[in-house]
Parts: sequence; structure tokens; C-alpha cells
Amino acid sequence: MADFFRALINAISILAIPLLLFVFLGWGIVKKVKVYSVFVEGAKEGFDTAVRIIPYLVAMLCAIGIFRASGAMELLTTVLAPVTNLIGMPPETLPMALMRPLSGSGSLGIMTELMKVHGPDSFIGILASTMYGSSETTFYVLAVYFGSVQVKNTRHAVPAGLIADLFGMLGAVFICRIFFGI
Amino acid sequence: MLNYIWIALIAIGILVAVGNDVADEMRNTYRNGIPVEGTIAIDKSPGPLRNSWEGDLILTADAFNAFYNTTAANADIHQPIVVTELSPGEKSVSLPLGPSSPDRWKEMAKAAASRDKLTGKVSSMVISDDQQRARIQFVLEPIHYMKSKAVTQAALDYATTAVTIALGLIGIMALWLGVMKVADEAGLLKIVTRFLTPITKRLFPEIPPDHPAVAAMIMNIAANMLGLSNAATPMGLKAMEELNKLNPKVGTATNAMVTFLAINTGGLILIPATAIAVRAAAGSANPGIIIGTSIFGAGCATVAGIVAAKLLQRLPRYRKDYEQVAAKEVSNG
Repeated sequence: MADFFRALINAISILAIPLLLFVFLGWGIVKKVKVYSVFVEGAKEGFDTAVRIIPYLVAMLCAIGIFRASGAMELLTTVLAPVTNLIGMPPETLPMALMRPLSGSGSLGIMTELMKVHGPDSFIGILASTMYGSSETTFYVLAVYFGSVQVKNTRHAVPAGLIADLFGMLGAVFICRIFFGI
Repeated sequence: MLNYIWIALIAIGILVAVGNDVADEMRNTYRNGIPVEGTIAIDKSPGPLRNSWEGDLILTADAFNAFYNTTAANADIHQPIVVTELSPGEKSVSLPLGPSSPDRWKEMAKAAASRDKLTGKVSSMVISDDQQRARIQFVLEPIHYMKSKAVTQAALDYATTAVTIALGLIGIMALWLGVMKVADEAGLLKIVTRFLTPITKRLFPEIPPDHPAVAAMIMNIAANMLGLSNAATPMGLKAMEELNKLNPKVGTATNAMVTFLAINTGGLILIPATAIAVRAAAGSANPGIIIGTSIFGAGCATVAGIVAAKLLQRLPRYRKDYEQVAAKEVSNG
């Protein structure tokens, strides 16, 4: 059942883009849209949007880079270790939980390292990969999406995003303990 | 909020880096000025065309751990070494770093004069009679301000990375924005939207149900769930642009934008392909075992994000931005 589900989703993922292109452009032709010129008209915005994001992304990534390089993460891990013990989360996976909202490449590195040290099928390995799949890189998403429309006052977006991350991590610990718990 | 988090990341980063550097100086973590002692298994001795010894520096794990006061090394260290005779009685040592090098030395090389090796001065070298082995004592180059250097480098590197990422978006952005425009003109987006109106009406009450923003948001969330991040980002940015057209106060996020991003940062994905690939590469017996748990985790994140966005938008401090706008609109008539 799980294998079938996986194969199905994989097939959809691979076929989605060609199918989407075919249906969208085909529908356009059926509806007598001048597909080529309309496509080019829309595509023009691509450059502006990408360039508009640059300052926001530079600001965000530099701050995250400085934070990561300073060793502050290790410090934070030490401070928070008692809390994680309380909820039955192995302290080794705490850097993963903290890094996930900040940096995609950083959390990927931590996940790979944890699997190398503890093995991918150990509780820590499974929990780390579940955590990776349980959330997005919040600060990157905020910088890119808000950057594209020049939003500087993000209001409650950061707390909402971080609450989502927190619950994603707690959810990952909870479900992994039930299914693969020690 | 982003304001404070941003400055906190930078300020904490810099303070911790300087603090770490001061602590390293006081503890002499990198053992500046203290000679390392080890044995060399000599491969090549000096001859007519060379003035250097090449071989393997061998340090026992215990000696290395005791020297650096760590527990990092769990096997004896075999590190390539080159000893060069500069003038009679004066020799320099160079440790080219490779996969077999201890992590501590790799880390030190990041703050060294040359990134791929550590250098130093030999204080004594005694070669055995058969020219096969030597006892050596050497002092490595002093390593200072490790974290401060790393912070500087990170700031510069990430600035470049940011531009690379943004420029890399241009092509796929253009492709998907073009396709979306065709779909829009053909009326396809309206059809997509109509199906999910009961849900979107509740999630985004401020947005007219047939607005193009709704279609773009649906497409973005669907693409994210299928793991098509290349398609998801352009559609998400298109959605933001459409949402911004309904924004009475450009530059400030609307409730709908925050709810949309909360769903996005939840990262609900049906097949976490990256994590599965890493698990497979690490030799897992069952890489796909995390699909179910990941969906559960991301589901928690998404629901929590939506609930948080909906509750937080009622707080006076987040509401006042919009009440001011509304008041101004009234006074403008």
C-alpha cells in the first residue's frame, strides 16, 4: 500500500509538468488565445521579479550566514538541551530543528552528518530526516516571497512561520516516537 | 518582528564569534607556539633534485586528544607531511589537508594563511639510521580570530549566494509566468479556482473567490505538495503579486499574504524527495519509511501555521496597521 502510494505520487510528480504545460497551452489554443505572444508577455515579468528579490535575499542570507559561522548554534544547542530531554527528543537532533527554518543547505548538511554518524535507520536518523521533511526554510521563503512585492513590514508572518516550524518539529518527534520509538 | 530577528541574528552572530575568539585565545585552543610531537614514516628522502622529506605523519589518537584536550580522534592519525630544508638547521613543515586529516586541523586551516594546508617550523628532527623513520617536533603557524574570520567570509559568501539564487530564478520564473498568463487569458485559472472556493473562501476571506491570486495560490500549494519546487516558486511569487494588487498599504503584509506564507512555510509535501535521496545514499534499508511521518509533521506545521496566522492577526498590534489605512480611506472620502 505504502509502495503503491509512493509509486503513484512519483509518477504524478514526474508527469505533472509536461501535462501542465500541455493542458494549459492546449486550452489556450482551444480558447483562441494567441499563445506565443501572451506567453512572451507574461514571461517578461520573470526578470524583474527575480532582480527585485536580490536585496531582500542578500540581507537575509548574510545575517543567517554570520549567525551560522559564529558558532552561536552550538551555544543555543547547549542552552536548550534540558528542554529537549523533557520531550524525549535526542539532543543530537536539536541543531537540525534549529537550523531547519534558517537554512536549507545547512539543515541538509546536518541531516547527512547525523545519518553518517548514527545510521539512516537509527531513531536519530529517522527523526532527522522526518524533521527535514516536516518544514520549509521559513526565513528563505519569507525573504523571497515578501521581497518580490517589496513588503518590509511583515506583521505577524515571522511568528506564524516560527510557530508552524515549532509544531512541525514537535509533530516529527511525536510521530517518530510512536512508530520508531525507543 | 523581522526587523528584530534580522538584527538579532547579526548581533548575536558577531558577539558570539568575538566571544569564541577570546575564549580560544585564553584557552589557547589551537595550541599556538606549542610543539607537536610525532613520528614520520618516510616515503621520499632528499636527493640531488629535492630538498625535502615526504611521508606520513603518525600521531596516536591519545597523543592528539591529549595535545588538543579533546576526544575527537578515535583512531591514530596518518597525515601526509612534507618537511623542507630551507637552510642547514632550518626546516619548514607543511601538512596538506585531505580526507584523512583530523577535523581539528581542517578547521584550523580555514583561518590559516593557505586554505588547503597548515604550515609550521620544525624545532627538531631525528632520522633513524635506515632512513625509514624520523621523530619530529614542530610548531604550527599561529591560528587567531578563527570565528571572526569565518563570519567575514560567511557574510561575503552568502551575499554572492543570494545573487546566484535570484538570478537562477529568472529562467524558470519567465517560463511559469508565461504559462500562467496563457492559462489566465484562456480562463483556465477561473475553473481551477471554482473547485476549491469552499476552502479558499475560509482561508482568505478578504480575497474575492474568483480573483487570479486564488488560482496562483492553489497552483503554488499543489506544486509544493508534489515537490515541484521549480514550478512552485514562480507560482507563489505570482500569487504574492496578485495579493499585492489588493493591498491597501503597499509595503505592509496583508492577512491573506501571511496566511498564504504560513501554509508555505509548513512545507506540506507528499514525497520528501531530498530526505529520501539522502537516506538512500547513506545506505538505508528502507529510505521511504519517513514518508508517513513527514506528512504528519508537515501537516502539524501547516495547521499550526494557519491557526497562528488567523489568531495573531486579531492582536491589536497587528490590527492597527490596517485600521489606520481604513481610517485614512474614510477621511479621503
